[in-house]
Amino acid sequence: MEPLRLLSVDPSDRGSQRCRLGPGMMSALGVHLGSPLLVSVPGGSCLCTAWPRADLAEGFLQMDLKCFSPSLLSQLPSHLSLDPAQVSPVICSKLKGVRITVIVQSVNFRKRTPHRLVHELVKDMLKGVCVHDGFVINLEDFDTEIKYVVIESISPESDSAGFITSKTAVEIAGIQTLRHYRSQLQDRHTVQLGGLEEVSASLREMLKLPLLYPSTLSSLGVSCPRGVLLVGPPGVGKTLLVRQVVGEVGACLVVVRGPEVVGARPGESEEALRAVFERARSAADEGPCVLFLDELDSLCPRRTSSSAPENRLVAQLLTLMDGMNQSDRFLIVGATNRPDSLDPALRRPGRFDREVIIGAPTLQQRKAILSVLCERMPVCPSVNLTELAQTTTGYVGADLSALCREAAMHAIREDSKCSGEQLVSMKHFHEALKSVRPSCLRSSMGRTELSPVTWEQIGGLDDVKLKLSQSIEWPMAHPEAFVRLGLCRPRGVLLYGPPGCAKTTLVKAAATSSNCAFLSVSGADLYSPYVGDSEKALAQLFHQARACAPSILFLDEIDSLIGSRSHSQTPNSVQTRLLSVLLNEMDGIGLKTHERRGTEKILQAEGVEESHTPEQLDCQEVCNKDVMVVAATNRPDCLDSALLRPGRLDHIIYVPPPDQEARLAVLKVCTKCMPVGADVRLEDLAAKTELFSGADLENLCKEAALLALLDGNMEASDIKHTHFLRSLSKMSSSLTEQQINKYETPPR
Amino acid sequence: MSTLAVATLHQALRKSFATLESNQKVWKSVLAECSPLMVSLGNLAEQSRALSNVQISNTPLRVFPDLEERLRFKLLEATDIVLGKLNEKMSSLQSARDAISNQVAAILHLYEQNTHSLDLLAVTERSTTTPSVADMLEWLQDAERHYRQQYPFLSSVLDVYVIFWYFFPLTLVFRFLRRKTLLQTLRADDLSLLESAPQRWNSLESPSAEDHITDTLCKVSFFVESQ
Repeated sequence: MEPLRLLSVDPSDRGSQRCRLGPGMMSALGVHLGSPLLVSVPGGSCLCTAWPRADLAEGFLQMDLKCFSPSLLSQLPSHLSLDPAQVSPVICSKLKGVRITVIVQSVNFRKRTPHRLVHELVKDMLKGVCVHDGFVINLEDFDTEIKYVVIESISPESDSAGFITSKTAVEIAGIQTLRHYRSQLQDRHTVQLGGLEEVSASLREMLKLPLLYPSTLSSLGVSCPRGVLLVGPPGVGKTLLVRQVVGEVGACLVVVRGPEVVGARPGESEEALRAVFERARSAADEGPCVLFLDELDSLCPRRTSSSAPENRLVAQLLTLMDGMNQSDRFLIVGATNRPDSLDPALRRPGRFDREVIIGAPTLQQRKAILSVLCERMPVCPSVNLTELAQTTTGYVGADLSALCREAAMHAIREDSKCSGEQLVSMKHFHEALKSVRPSCLRSSMGRTELSPVTWEQIGGLDDVKLKLSQSIEWPMAHPEAFVRLGLCRPRGVLLYGPPGCAKTTLVKAAATSSNCAFLSVSGADLYSPYVGDSEKALAQLFHQARACAPSILFLDEIDSLIGSRSHSQTPNSVQTRLLSVLLNEMDGIGLKTHERRGTEKILQAEGVEESHTPEQLDCQEVCNKDVMVVAATNRPDCLDSALLRPGRLDHIIYVPPPDQEARLAVLKVCTKCMPVGADVRLEDLAAKTELFSGADLENLCKEAALLALLDGNMEASDIKHTHFLRSLSKMSSSLTEQQINKYETPPR
Repeated sequence: MSTLAVATLHQALRKSFATLESNQKVWKSVLAECSPLMVSLGNLAEQSRALSNVQISNTPLRVFPDLEERLRFKLLEATDIVLGKLNEKMSSLQSARDAISNQVAAILHLYEQNTHSLDLLAVTERSTTTPSVADMLEWLQDAERHYRQQYPFLSSVLDVYVIFWYFFPLTLVFRFLRRKTLLQTLRADDLSLLESAPQRWNSLESPSAEDHITDTLCKVSFFVESQ
């Protein structure tokens, strides 16, 4: 049979539940006037009664949506082609009883209309309607406050559809407002969230407990927490988390954004806030409800002594939160990234009972986030999410989603060049990693772009390299071994030695080889003419470094940056104050609460979490949650002894001037990209350059090359041994025997 | 077989249309009788509002003892009487509606019984004087739906009075007991609802829908008369 065209319903048929068909089609289906038909359209199906078209034309279908599946509530199909097979007759018998939920327009009607009246009206309206289990009945044509009826169950249960007669018992299971019902329908399909299972479980519990066990709670005499403050850096998914939990529980969400309620005229903001609470209260009558105060710090800043208008707003919020009684069954969730700027009165039990700190995601969480993000993307099977998670230290959820988007964009760009399969591969992710940087480091002063240096680019110093990689790389690469032996990663490393012996380059190489965030700071960043500013800057630097741990904080020329208490002439200089900050940050009494990483388990009723065996990734988190301070100096004697004790700068590594073998290695590295003549004997040069530092040797090579250019009138093609010898004769070593002897005695 | 069934149906249809016509008249007349009642109800609400707005102690009328309570009692009593009358009207509307519903249900039942002998061709066959069975059944259904839609529509206007009934049963003793409750529940917004009731009542009378019924009756007039 040819397909049927679906036309919009005739106005006179509205509310009649008729489905207009051609008589030929009706006889083909074997139905008579008023027989129930089930029509399935894309997105749902509709139950209606067959009736011939007034013009008796075939090939068209007009149906009145009286009884349809809930998914059709939002979008009604129009102008479709239907296959005749999608229309099928159903057997409808008279129903003994139905259980329904009534959907009404306004809250007022729901509250004030007697149940008896609603029952009477609904029963009257439903008479003669053909209903299907789980479907929605549209009653809008009656033009009353009652808009829809949802069929929860029908009796006898063996049938899926049936007629409602005057003898059918109608039981009202509940009355909801249309808004609530629609929001429930919408919330069924929400975004997935990775890595925040524990926080979301605790939020969910708070929402559900008072609904599931109201009597238990009241018999215990406890009140369930009514306020939660979510604290965390921007982009960790605070807002998304609330939306997801609300969607999952099927609660109603009332959102307040700080700036939205603030009005220009006096008293306007307070009124808006009261209205919001009233809205939440009426929504809470129908089911769980969450009042979400986003960007709470802008709404509720610390009250100042002056009579600023914000003070009144804060006071209003406090009184509203206090005025909530146990019968107001809604949960207030606040979110902020600056908990310290909130009014302290807000942060006490009774207002925000719980503070949930969502830190920057840990490795495990990042992996979970990435797997959620990549679920919808056509990702190449070769993409290793664990590796990606390892390289993205300090990235928050928003950064990771930006990363995935960027990677996908790279894939699309590549795809437009050569039409192949659209798959996002590891290569694209690496491209994206270059452009998307962690947002927690975005405004940091210490963030440095490194040109990557490999260990091979540094000649000699093999034991120093080994020691460095021991303290920086090993905890990253073999965390399980560290945990097994009860080792923890060193807090700090001090490199000391004569100038020009590649201390800075060594640190660069270490940073390159480990995938740490690398922060470097110099005196110019720290010093400021204001008292206390430098100390604050250093503390801030540590804070940021911890936020994206594991990270390396590099303090070059630490002797000039941080003073020593014993040698200093002025005991209260900036240097000494900086030193005290550094000592505290490296081995202080603890972290600030809102710097916590990940989330701890805070479940009340879910029972004991089963302890899972430590996996490699967990070990990695345990070992690498700290900042590692790497300092370099050539005057170790100037450092304060407190800084050098284990627990602060544990590993003190002497970077010696190169010996003959090392010098040869350095020369080889330096001349790698130089066209060196065949007669050049590097071993000979290495022997002659006693007491030369690495920098000296590099300079020597440069000089020789310049000499070669001078001789050959810019056309020299190679550097001869004589050039090296001539440049050597002009230079003297920058180190002295005496200097080196001084370094040989260890500083502590 | 088919012709016999069609003839039976036609006979029943004639009867149904006669019922529809008579009940339409009843419906119209009852509605007309309701209008003055609604107006007086609105007046009473207005008076109640005026009474709550005025401070009798500030006027020369303060010498009369318990004037406010007495006046309010009088108003409530009058409202009670008007509502009682309206309720009677509502029940006669309901009976008219039920008569139509029952008639339509009966004829549909008759059709259902005869479906095996009626093929679609017989059902959809129409002539200049006789509309097809399908058409006539459809019109009857439409008319029935119209009255059914009108009724809850009307009673939704009376919602507020139903709430009123809730707190204000007819028995006098009970009324005295509950008067206080009623006075507390009847807030200003209720009064405004009461006041607007006549307008709402009038807005419900949809001439086009009623005309539709009249149209239908015209369409079948030849058929009804052709015995």
